[in-house]
Amino acid sequence: MHFDPAVLVDYWPLLLQGAWLTLQVSVAALVMGYAAGIAVALIALMPGWLPGLVTGFYVETLRNIPFIIILFVVYYGLPFWGIRLPATLVGTAALALFASAYYAEIVRAAILALPRGQFESARAIGMSPMSAMWHVVAPQILRALVPPSTNMTLTMMKESAVLSSITVPELTYQSLVVQGNTFAPFEVFAAVASIYWLMAVVIAEISRRLERRVGAVQAEAVSRNRIADRYLSLVARRT
Amino acid sequence: MGFKLDFLLSILPRLIGAAAVNIRLAVIIMLLALALGTALTIVRSLKVAAVNACIAVVISFVRGTPLLIQIFIAYYVLPAVGLDLSPEVAGVSAIAFNSMVFVSESMRGGLATIDVGQIEASTALGLPPHAIWLRVVLPQLFRRIVPVLINEATIVVKGTALLSVITVVDVLRTAQQIASASYRPFETMIGSALVFLVINLVISLSGRVAESRFATARA
Repeated sequence: MHFDPAVLVDYWPLLLQGAWLTLQVSVAALVMGYAAGIAVALIALMPGWLPGLVTGFYVETLRNIPFIIILFVVYYGLPFWGIRLPATLVGTAALALFASAYYAEIVRAAILALPRGQFESARAIGMSPMSAMWHVVAPQILRALVPPSTNMTLTMMKESAVLSSITVPELTYQSLVVQGNTFAPFEVFAAVASIYWLMAVVIAEISRRLERRVGAVQAEAVSRNRIADRYLSLVARRT
Repeated sequence: MGFKLDFLLSILPRLIGAAAVNIRLAVIIMLLALALGTALTIVRSLKVAAVNACIAVVISFVRGTPLLIQIFIAYYVLPAVGLDLSPEVAGVSAIAFNSMVFVSESMRGGLATIDVGQIEASTALGLPPHAIWLRVVLPQLFRRIVPVLINEATIVVKGTALLSVITVVDVLRTAQQIASASYRPFETMIGSALVFLVINLVISLSGRVAESRFATARA
């Protein structure tokens, strides 16, 4: 068989529409999911055993069920309770619900990783509460927050491909439509995979800049020893 | 139309029966991913520039595209290039390939934590490279990445649910068949969610037990 991108010529607008919807859905789910994640994390950190138990149940349930099942539970569950919404809205909500469990864990870990007494120390040297928060606490939390958050956002964007199974016309759904019309799977999936890949590379680049900005740059493991590097390093030593 | 608990209970046996398919495929995928991931890591450690550059592109592709698209590629594209695979084989190959990359990436991190002196000592003793890999590096490496592997196993189990999209009759597809016959999709989906929840909680818990075992073995 040969590779003939010309078969896609009429279908590029459809694929780009799909990619645009994938981006919109991902951004909406990021905003809603992160807000919910912060709320869950703050509840988890409240004193007493009950908040931790409830949020632990929430997080573990959502993290141990495949997203496609969560999606169908929400998709069939809402009409069950008499709520009828367009598929795109349902899909976005399900994606946000799914991501919120992971964001909650990220936020909780970032807050717990903050060394004790940072705020109090800043106050003790005469900083106002606002500036102690802004100059001491917030930068440290952000530094711990950014790398895993962008990572999760990338995972979520990829996970949005599953929305195709409830007929949300995002990129994967459109690729199946185009595949059905052209019977050119190689060209279609090469194109669609490239679009996802491009979006992922862009998100990765944004996150790299963001990490540099908040000072969360993690140095690549430095080569330690010529002999050991033969086995323990996968990167060629620079000479 | 209220929630029918007895209906949910009545379909659980069928869903659990279908779960055997997911578990069987997940086990095959994990074994493949471990073997291939280890092999890939050793190839990368040879540091042949051209080979590592190609592997880097493959890794970026696998990490940058949805698993569902990778499954579609295995299912729709491979037959077009002459590889006619059954849905199960195509799906297993796609998830195993994806998982192989993640295993190799976590091994890369694990390698950095192995004591340099171990390699120096084995080299000084004149151990041949294959012995250094098999007897010194890999046993320590596997122990270190047990938590990551457990996590990867739950991800693989969740990934097998996507195979329903390419007609593998797993828990989800069985659930869809039951739902369309009974018009009770909500209870059915809750049932399949429970099945996955139990499988993955069992994996996580047994993983925690295995971790503490390994921790004592190391001490």
